[in-house]
Amino acid sequence: MAIRLTFWGVRGSIPVPGPTTVKYGGNTSCLELRFGEEDRLIVIDLGSGVRELAGHIMKKDLPRGPIKTKVFLTHTHFDHIMGFPFFTPIFIPTTELDVYGPVSYEDDTLEKIVGEQLRYRYFPVRLEELSAKINYTPLKEGSLDLGGGLKVTTKYLNHPILVLGYRFEYQGKVFCTAYDHEPYRNFFDISPEDPSFDAAAVKEGELAAREENEKVQKFFEGADLLVHDTQYTIKEYYAGKIGWGHSYFGWAIGAAHKAKVKHLVLFHHEPLRTDRELTALHRAYVAAIKGKTNMKVTVAQEGTTIEV
Amino acid sequence: MQDKDRVLSIIQTYIAKMPSLPITVSKILQIANDPKTSPSDLNQVISLDPVLMGRVMKLINSAYYSLNTQITSLVRAIIMLGINTVKNLALSTAVLGQLAKKGSFQALNIDGFWRHSLCVGVTAKLIAVKRKKDPKQLEEYFVAGLLHDIGKIPLNNKLSAEYVTALSLTDKEHAPLYLLEERTMEVNHCEVGRLIIKNWNLGPVMEDVVFFHHFLDAYPGAHRDILLTVAAANFFANTYQIGFSGDRYPEKLPPYVFEELGITLDDLEAVEDKANSEIDKAKIFLSVSQ
Repeated sequence: MAIRLTFWGVRGSIPVPGPTTVKYGGNTSCLELRFGEEDRLIVIDLGSGVRELAGHIMKKDLPRGPIKTKVFLTHTHFDHIMGFPFFTPIFIPTTELDVYGPVSYEDDTLEKIVGEQLRYRYFPVRLEELSAKINYTPLKEGSLDLGGGLKVTTKYLNHPILVLGYRFEYQGKVFCTAYDHEPYRNFFDISPEDPSFDAAAVKEGELAAREENEKVQKFFEGADLLVHDTQYTIKEYYAGKIGWGHSYFGWAIGAAHKAKVKHLVLFHHEPLRTDRELTALHRAYVAAIKGKTNMKVTVAQEGTTIEV
Repeated sequence: MQDKDRVLSIIQTYIAKMPSLPITVSKILQIANDPKTSPSDLNQVISLDPVLMGRVMKLINSAYYSLNTQITSLVRAIIMLGINTVKNLALSTAVLGQLAKKGSFQALNIDGFWRHSLCVGVTAKLIAVKRKKDPKQLEEYFVAGLLHDIGKIPLNNKLSAEYVTALSLTDKEHAPLYLLEERTMEVNHCEVGRLIIKNWNLGPVMEDVVFFHHFLDAYPGAHRDILLTVAAANFFANTYQIGFSGDRYPEKLPPYVFEELGITLDDLEAVEDKANSEIDKAKIFLSVSQ
């Protein structure tokens, strides 16, 4: 085993506990990655799922020594950072945390954006009172050598704010995230009857959208494991969700297949999606692609682990 | 006489919150406030405002800073950033424009300046088309032309009294404006323009065009083609008096410009109708109808 992935939160937008989300889980994004025999820990996103991960780390890692880990945020929308105040290792003085993530167009720092939650008006402990050592590093597109043969590459995705996809490479295996993300579209391709129709922009927009989509596909090309945004069905997407920054199942499956991904995990489930619906959708898509691809397609489920 | 450091500090403060041109503000507000805005309208209104164009380019290039290539296409910027992000930016820039409306553009006539900038942008692009440049680069020629005089905005708005003096001296002495800017304000619009381009992080091509468009002989760099094109377009706009940005007596264009570009005066004449019709179209577009 080179890379082990465990899901602690798989839901989009907002936690949705309740009887209809018991199977796949109601917590928002949080992924635990473990690398190699050392069991090196990396966390992706601090959604509400990180609370349970924290308990797990305290039990498993703390007895072996101080917690020193890196957290990679895909972006700073609330469902991806809301669990931060409940990540108990931040209250332990020996903890060393490196938080990485994209900073959007505002002037605020990553520390302010994430740490703002630890203010008296929202939470009883203030950021300044945390005893752990926490470093914040804003990320753009690029590559980082994390040492010990682990490398991470980042890629901007398409969402209303800056989002990074992550590509981890370790011992010849590749794990990628592509959420929150929606396909790039040529907005300029409107009816020629429309008074604002601009033929040159339509042409240029088509090229730009195609190139940007190809770049994303290239980014997760050949991945052993890809976790991709599939918040919507195609019907939902075209019925008013265009521009919301999320993909539909068919898009994710098509793009991953073209990129020769070995195992695609459907992720960032729509809050309203029940366990029953999700299972039915998964079955239908698996049946539809049977015999057409060697790619394995599964649904992200809280508490489950995948190894590559 | 102004102290140069003082002038530069006034300008630096102004650049950080530079407003849209009053001439485009109403249309920007109309488009950005409309939830059903078409991307083409958004594209068009931004293309017509040098400040807004610069700010959108800044946004995309600061976000995508580590990419090897500078993004100079507005269409691509809108696709990558999303309509809403660009609309919000347009809105905030336009609101600054509304606040600044009173008392701005005292020395230079806003309509003349806007026409001149647009004419140089359109003409630079037309010259590039004529010379069969890669279609992917055409937008960059337009943007470079549109922005070449951007440095005049802070001078005109923040040092209006001095700018009036500089303009009247050009008439009196029949001398190019940039020399008289230097005499009255210690800086010229090329230098101020470069500060803006640096602040917006628009990359070396725009920086060179803005800084060297009156100093072709001194240009040592790699972006000669686009610089000479903008200089030729600027010469055209001044000669044919399409718009007016204060330079009634510009220096003559060195003969090598036309030679190197492989164009003639006739080619530029042929552009006149097209440039005028583009500007008229823009004018109609900007006259807000609701």
